[in-house]
Amino acid sequence: MVEILKIEGLNKSFGDLTVLDGIDLSVNKGETIVVIGASGSGKSTMLRCVNFMEIPSGGRITLNGSAIGTASNGSVTYSEKELTGLRARVGMVFQHFNLFPHMTVKQNVMEGPKTVLKCSAVECSRRADKYLEKVGLGWKADSFPSQLSGGQQQRVAIARALAMEPEIMLFDEATSALDPELVGEVLLTMKELADEGMTMLIVTHELGFAYTVADRVLFLANGKILEQGDPESVLINPQQDATKNFLRGHGSFRLPEPNLD
Amino acid sequence: MGYEWDFGVVLRDFDLLLWGLVNTLKVTGLSLLFGVPLGLFLALWRLYGGRLIRVPVGVLIEFLRTTPPIAQLFWFFFAMPILLGIEIDPFQASVLTFSLQSSAFFAEVFRGGIVSIDNGQWEAAKAIGMDRNASLRRIILPQAVKRMVPAFLERAIELMKTTTLVGTISYADLLYEANNIAQSTYRSLEVFSLAAGMYFVVIFACSMGVRRLERHLGRTGETTTG
Repeated sequence: MVEILKIEGLNKSFGDLTVLDGIDLSVNKGETIVVIGASGSGKSTMLRCVNFMEIPSGGRITLNGSAIGTASNGSVTYSEKELTGLRARVGMVFQHFNLFPHMTVKQNVMEGPKTVLKCSAVECSRRADKYLEKVGLGWKADSFPSQLSGGQQQRVAIARALAMEPEIMLFDEATSALDPELVGEVLLTMKELADEGMTMLIVTHELGFAYTVADRVLFLANGKILEQGDPESVLINPQQDATKNFLRGHGSFRLPEPNLD
Repeated sequence: MGYEWDFGVVLRDFDLLLWGLVNTLKVTGLSLLFGVPLGLFLALWRLYGGRLIRVPVGVLIEFLRTTPPIAQLFWFFFAMPILLGIEIDPFQASVLTFSLQSSAFFAEVFRGGIVSIDNGQWEAAKAIGMDRNASLRRIILPQAVKRMVPAFLERAIELMKTTTLVGTISYADLLYEANNIAQSTYRSLEVFSLAAGMYFVVIFACSMGVRRLERHLGRTGETTTG
């Protein structure tokens, strides 16, 4: 077991509001972790602290054995340069895709390798082709983002993150902005990545996906990990009342198995 | 009202008007050349500079925007030699004044363009490891500039019209020449009609060109959904 990511005592407050309250988490290479919880529980903030889109108020984050930041007198300071370097090693996919509208699909995917990693033109192109192929959109390479469906845009955003060949991938509600019929293609792409051994930390409301794909499910409430374990124990046999209530809310209206033959 | 138009006497001096137009374009062109990049820097300093930079730059921009251009022109023309001992000719004073004056307006155009870009674009750039400079250069400015084209054109036209003030310090621009010809030929109506027509042709042609450019830019994708 190789530990890729270690989070210790992570705190985050915005002014008086405490959003994360002592998160500890260890993620092994190849593990898929799904984070669930009500809105406001801190799950997105936790994800955003991992690649320092938000700067933690306290605690320590260690990626592949190297602790991020310089600790002195009980607080940790971060240099912009270190954080920029760290973000290049961590992939992130956003709820709203955030593709670069002035670039073609292929240019979007090449941008990181080209501008940040300073790869050669040949290498940039090779990576773009490879990862666009992986998300099934090689044929859209020369389109502009505005010409794609939401699901396709999100798959391009995944390819853009993969092109950096990151050590871990973060998904922040990657399907929440999509029309229901487009959710499946993005989740399938994510599942393929998980099956190939990518280390992933996923915030989602798709409990069925969590059940199928996660190695471990975390339930967050009030900035704390309230319950965690394999999907069966957290999603099917929850122990905490808060987890039960959350799942009850999600299961209020449910289809019996539709007959799709 | 039987006014008899007579362009003949005016057209004899048409070459003077053309030279005046060339001078107008020289001042306008150079002021754009210096004013646009300076405007970009002012905008970036105002947006991202530390307090010690942000505040004075803001004051400078507001000052340049709110004082009459003719006062600025006189100030640079007359004050520079007195205060700094630097002799400048009317041409230099004109370019200096209008570069600075237009940079303040361009700074506001740039700033408006930059802040209009969705924060998600910054985040996406940041998430693939770009620093602020790279994000600005590769992601934010290319999109912002595209949106700013109409405002740029508006400012450039405004600038060209404002340069008519340079005649007051005896720089021989189009309007200055027109004035001279009017005084020597007593054909004010003809000569100013002609001068106005020349301004119109140049500005209208530029604005058509920019409109075509805009259509061309508009063909590449605009916004992502969501």
